[in-house]
Amino acid sequence: MPLEIKDVDTYYGSVKILDSINFNASHGELLGIIGPNGSGKTTLLRTISRILKPKVGAILLEGRDVLEMGYREFSRIFAAVPQDTTINFDFSALDIVLMGRNPHLGRLELESEKDIEIARRSMRLTNCWEFAERPITELSGGERQLVIIARALTQEPKVLLLDEPTSHLDINYQIEIMELLKRLTSEEKLIVIAVIHDLNLAARYCDRLVLLHDGKIVSLGTQAEVLTAENIKNTFGADVIVKKHALTNHCYVSPVPSPLKRQNKTEAGLTVHLICGGGEGASLMHELAKKGYKVSVGVVNMLDTDYEVAKLLNIPVVTEAPYSPISEEAFQAHLAVVDRANVVVLCNIPFGFGNLRNLEVAERALERNKPLLVFEATRIEKRDFTNGEATKRFIILKGKGAIRVKNQEEVFKAIGQL
Amino acid sequence: MVMVYLITILSFTIVLTTAIGPVYVPPLEIVSLLGNKLHLLENASIPQKYEVIILQIRLPRIFLGLLVGLSLATAGTTLQGLFKNPMADPYIIGIASGAAVGAVFSMLILPSFLFIYTRPFMAFLGAMFTTFLVYNIARVGRRIPVDTLLLTGIAISLFLGAVLSFMMFVAEDLHSIFFWLMGGFWLANWTQVKISILPVFFSFFLIYIFAKDLNAMLLGEESAQTLGINVENVKKILLVFAAFITAIAVSFVGTIGFVGLIIPHITRILVGPDHRILFPASALVGGIFLMWTDALARLLGEMPVGIITAFFGAPFFIYLLRERKGKK
Repeated sequence: MPLEIKDVDTYYGSVKILDSINFNASHGELLGIIGPNGSGKTTLLRTISRILKPKVGAILLEGRDVLEMGYREFSRIFAAVPQDTTINFDFSALDIVLMGRNPHLGRLELESEKDIEIARRSMRLTNCWEFAERPITELSGGERQLVIIARALTQEPKVLLLDEPTSHLDINYQIEIMELLKRLTSEEKLIVIAVIHDLNLAARYCDRLVLLHDGKIVSLGTQAEVLTAENIKNTFGADVIVKKHALTNHCYVSPVPSPLKRQNKTEAGLTVHLICGGGEGASLMHELAKKGYKVSVGVVNMLDTDYEVAKLLNIPVVTEAPYSPISEEAFQAHLAVVDRANVVVLCNIPFGFGNLRNLEVAERALERNKPLLVFEATRIEKRDFTNGEATKRFIILKGKGAIRVKNQEEVFKAIGQL
Repeated sequence: MVMVYLITILSFTIVLTTAIGPVYVPPLEIVSLLGNKLHLLENASIPQKYEVIILQIRLPRIFLGLLVGLSLATAGTTLQGLFKNPMADPYIIGIASGAAVGAVFSMLILPSFLFIYTRPFMAFLGAMFTTFLVYNIARVGRRIPVDTLLLTGIAISLFLGAVLSFMMFVAEDLHSIFFWLMGGFWLANWTQVKISILPVFFSFFLIYIFAKDLNAMLLGEESAQTLGINVENVKKILLVFAAFITAIAVSFVGTIGFVGLIIPHITRILVGPDHRILFPASALVGGIFLMWTDALARLLGEMPVGIITAFFGAPFFIYLLRERKGKK
């Protein structure tokens, strides 16, 4: 293993910040360090870049102890891009990049044509050669970041360390910089270790992730292994849904609002049953739960958005196997759940032959004198994929006294009046 | 290119400022005398009175002015680079006051245990002591914030001012100390030039060796370290030599304020922030500036030159403060 971090403990004064950190990184690997604020990400990076000395443990590069190297030798192998790249003195961008040659030059030695060539190559690679002559003080944050990365590359390092290289940048530069890091690992075979705040950016580009919490490694591995809702809940304390991105098949983390408090409001006690699917019930579920209603949901297919949201909100849900029509068993279970509800809401869902039986349940609810709200934001004809069968049954529902509502406010109003 | 201009200006300055004083000496006479002395010219027909004035009075004074200007400008450039702050200067952050206390102490109390080097040596001790005092008080963790640095420097300067006043209060020979403190070149002689020239150039060269390190340190100390610089060591070496070069200047001509502030700043506007050019350029500009202000002092009836530099410097300092405020 080219780079080994072995049992590293780092202290600030007497406070232990890093606690037996252990991991490896190999050539051509982009390793992301993630974790909540104060978890020790920056400290870890500063320890590897020798700004901080670990109290215990070793850092080895190809078997050599990094802590034993001289300052100049170390900086020919390791280059770092700090979090704050503000520079108040008006050096030109090229001057700044040429400083990357310092570890290779004597104190009074001038930069040769070869050094300038290396600087030019780095600046072309990071796409900032066009503003080589401009004062660094006049560049935008993103442009400056590119220049600082070019400086690091001009050191011709084997290991590149970056502390939140994309924070404060707009999405265009975020992508540009992450793509650049990816290229540096795959083409130049660098070891790149970057602290990254944005979990999705980390998932999208990093080969492996290190998840830190309270100075310890909580999880280490591929994005699928590290970015689980459970890990994120335990470290960040945030509730999230982790999905596969439709386009890239990378993990995609999106937050859900903080855990719902079950308030004892006046409405509490009423149970609202939602007949939904395809994500049509998700936001209503959330709003109702927030208002203190008990909510139940049926019949939805597993892995459906409504299914996931219900699970997340701890709402009882009647399920069917993925992509399967509603079975007799699920139908009966659904009826039983509806029986316990005080009011039933039929969401604005499309109907196919697979979920036609959900309409049947709605009809049964009416027959048992349950108030039925029919949420109709889109005309039924447009979401009927059963050659008119669904529309026919829908009209029957209305004839039997279903209350038609057009938006969420009307749903709450109607339920409030019960 | 800038250096060629500056050296040309320096040559003219040497000749022209030698001409200026209570007795006017025609510049042509100066050129022919200098040419004669350097065996470049043969026709030596310079009046005796001019020769004495030029060689014994004006020239040592002018060369001392050059050396002191060079020292203060170099010290100022070093401190501004180290503290990443254009407001630092040996006078403002108290180094000069420390040197003054050391020098006065040696003038009043100590026997000359190091002969003519006693005063410069004591000035150096005073400067070093003050530097590390200010540095450690102003430091917050690993950083030295601008405001605490300036405030600490001013507080220490005030305290040292009180120490100076006290020493003058108990002193017998008040007059000479008083005039020395105000800063002036009227006592300049060749001995002072001879004993200061080597240490000044030695310090300048040593500081210059760290020009590239200072450039990198302008990007932040951690960045500098990742560029292979042993930041803590460089800081210590540079602080010691900035204090040393300031002490040499102060021990001969008293406290001359603001040269170390204005000169690096103006030079930076002219040549940019790269210390490899900034050091020699600001050294020359500093020398030229002090030679002319001293010439002005001679014209104004031997006014202490410190008064003139303060007249320029204090408004400039206020301008810098306002500009910083504008940026925020």
